[in-house]
Amino acid sequence: MRPVYIVGAGMTRFGRSEWPLVDLAAASSVAALHHAHLGKVPVDAVVVANMGGGRINRQTALGSALVDRLSLWPAAAESVENGPASGASAVKVGCQAIAAGMANVVLVTGVEMMRAVDGLEATDFVASLSHPEAEYIYGVTLPALAGLFTRLYMSKYGVERKHLAMVAIKNHDNAMKNPYAHIHQTVTMEGILTAPESVVNNPLVADPLGMFDCCPVSDGAASIILASAEVAQKLAAPRVLVAGIGQATDTHAVHERQDPTDLKAVRLASAAAFERAGAKPADIDVAELHDAFTILEIAESEAAGFFPIGHAHKAVERGETKLTGKLPINPSGGLKAKGHPVGATGVAQLVELVWQLRGEATGRQVSKAKTAYACNFGGFGNNVVATVLRKEER
Amino acid sequence: MSHNVFAFRCKTCGQVSYPKHTICPKCRGETFEPQEIAGEGSVLTYTDVYALAIDYETRYLRLAIVELDDGMRVTGQLLDDSPRLGKRVRATIGVVRETAGTSIYGLQFVPA
Repeated sequence: MRPVYIVGAGMTRFGRSEWPLVDLAAASSVAALHHAHLGKVPVDAVVVANMGGGRINRQTALGSALVDRLSLWPAAAESVENGPASGASAVKVGCQAIAAGMANVVLVTGVEMMRAVDGLEATDFVASLSHPEAEYIYGVTLPALAGLFTRLYMSKYGVERKHLAMVAIKNHDNAMKNPYAHIHQTVTMEGILTAPESVVNNPLVADPLGMFDCCPVSDGAASIILASAEVAQKLAAPRVLVAGIGQATDTHAVHERQDPTDLKAVRLASAAAFERAGAKPADIDVAELHDAFTILEIAESEAAGFFPIGHAHKAVERGETKLTGKLPINPSGGLKAKGHPVGATGVAQLVELVWQLRGEATGRQVSKAKTAYACNFGGFGNNVVATVLRKEER
Repeated sequence: MSHNVFAFRCKTCGQVSYPKHTICPKCRGETFEPQEIAGEGSVLTYTDVYALAIDYETRYLRLAIVELDDGMRVTGQLLDDSPRLGKRVRATIGVVRETAGTSIYGLQFVPA
């Protein structure tokens, strides 16, 4: 297999977009193309990650649409829909094309415009990824699955709501330093948990999870440019190697898992990504995790191997996952505060990590970051893509 | 009352699965017989959902995963005013959703 490099990264600010879907995708694509300084090197293929275009925006075949908008004909094009893991899946598809020698330069863009519909419709659209007969019919939504998971996790490992709040506070703080983040608002323990007015500020969504445990509904797009070693060598920019990708699936219905608190697909996908990268969790300098709900940052950080199972909340308490800690997690603000346009998220995680590895994450730069990890969590953990990136000195 | 809530017993190895898999997760057998989901069990976890799904007009919806005494787990609605982890419940079939004028039947759990 040929090695694959990320030579450019760009995104739009997450939040609410007034632009049509393809304009949003084009904006992040152009930002990534500018970042890569490809010159006359052609883009051979375009992969678009998106989950709801067909339902929410009534537009399909987004890969073809983006090629047209960017005048990249006759580049190959496809769209990848893999639930909330669409982003990292699309990156995987692009990497496979280069590794197999079928392309030298691939543009991967993740895009979602969820705010085109009201909150109820957006929630229902995401809930349609749950098991239709065993979950969805009961009124199960993603927050509901997260609530069920959280109560069990708390009782098993002694996690408390204050630990969840610490994750939210940290990620909101990080997002304050990220101009691309959806939410620019600092939150405090008093404001969301301990003061009398906290029940008004932070109403329950799916108890024990409150509003500040849940990611917002966001529009946004993120793009990266993948290149073969041959192309990457010609460019002046720092080289970021896609050192390893791992992917694993698990049962569709959460209740069918032997231990519903065990994020098995995260464990297996991460182990595969680390093995392919020739790295171990202790080598990671910075990580972007899929904190659609605060509990997931804690549980994923354990399943990925950064902390023993049941201990991550203690690490959060000690500040180890802050920007200044031993292992900064979600310097971008995470899904919690950067936002979660579902199809864009997996790509946006890598955009942040590329900036971190290149030393370009102004205001939130993790010092001396060389190896990075991302977890893109699809479904409620039934399809997970883990990615390890490594900066190569020139 | 017609419902479509069944577990599936693999005719090859006897493994009972819910929901349905066309190939048995244990032995890869391909023939099954439907089996009623009934009996008692205990609440593995529950949640009160305030951000409701489409089709619901209640203030909140109480959902649970229950572990039945035969070891099988199921998701459904918990009809219990004082829920707690481990509490004994009984599985019944009732209307769990009304969508576009159609009643959908599914699992509900009541105190045992």
